[in-house]
Amino acid sequence: MSAVNGIRSTPSLRTDRELQREEATIARKYLGRVPWEMVVWGLGNFVVWLSLWPLVFSGMLPLWAGFLLSTLCCILAYLPSHEAQHSIIAAEGTKLRWLNELVGHISTIPLVFPYRVAWITHKQHHAYANDEERDPDITSRAETWWQSIWSSIKGRQPGNQEGYAKAMRETDDPNRDRAILEAFALRTMHFTVLLICAWTGHALEGLFLWLLPRHLGSIYNVLFLSWAPHHPANETGRYRDTRAWKSPIGTLLTMGMEYHIIHHLYPKIPLIDTAKAFYEFEPILTERGIRNDRPNKTGA
Amino acid sequence: MAGQVLEFLSSWGPLWFGIGFLAPLIAQSMDAMSIPAPLGLPTIVVGLIVGTTAGFVAKRRGSWV
Repeated sequence: MSAVNGIRSTPSLRTDRELQREEATIARKYLGRVPWEMVVWGLGNFVVWLSLWPLVFSGMLPLWAGFLLSTLCCILAYLPSHEAQHSIIAAEGTKLRWLNELVGHISTIPLVFPYRVAWITHKQHHAYANDEERDPDITSRAETWWQSIWSSIKGRQPGNQEGYAKAMRETDDPNRDRAILEAFALRTMHFTVLLICAWTGHALEGLFLWLLPRHLGSIYNVLFLSWAPHHPANETGRYRDTRAWKSPIGTLLTMGMEYHIIHHLYPKIPLIDTAKAFYEFEPILTERGIRNDRPNKTGA
Repeated sequence: MAGQVLEFLSSWGPLWFGIGFLAPLIAQSMDAMSIPAPLGLPTIVVGLIVGTTAGFVAKRRGSWV
């Protein structure tokens, strides 16, 4: 076995077709179930975030605690919507489709990240991962994590025309206009709430319950959901655009993103199952020559 | 047409934000920390001057940072 530049490979004795067939057999085991835990996560997180407002305004919760909890809620807000973007909760035309769409729309409200914009841009990310011109997430690419945070802050500035702005401008997705309208409505709602807080003497509550947590949550998500799993983001292709990696802060705090490669290979496998699936896929993926930056079990 | 209106309103977003949110935020922060406004001005006037200026600069530069 060799390990150069994240490539751990064993000489493949099987044909591409045989490997494909084996991959599909494993993938099938993880497909098709409703990930109820993501439904509870998404809707529950939104309810907790919403409850912080009356708790803080009534004085039952100090503002500093509200700020910390709201930031945590914003960090947790994206992934349930991500499951909905891939129709993992319920496919189009099925009985529970309304739940899929509900989770998709509701869970990202704390982040002020409209579901349909997330969906359109995320489809492009999957189709063109690490492509300098066409991947909307390529803006998170950076040599170090702190450079990634800085580029994430710069990417959130009002005049930024790259990343998601560029993707939304250039997409021919039939839902584009609807997505832009929903984005405008969500941002207007966010601004209106801040405005009401500010002019009724609660500007600090608006700042610490929504504005700052929203930006901190987005920066955290870009770092661990986009930068880290794709780093160094200099290769394209099914088995090379995403990596398996070991997080210094653990699987839980990175919300399972160490196994993000499984998501890129089989986007309909629920997040909760990606770690288990990874270990089952690992021998095949090693033969495929994936980027595996996890420490070798033998310590090599 | 509707798209152009939305685009116009959004393009001036930093200024609306500076006046609508930053100004009262600055005033309330000054009050909370007992920082007196210069020249005996009300703190909200200081907030409006700083917030409007910051919003306008951010609109011109396309960036708050």
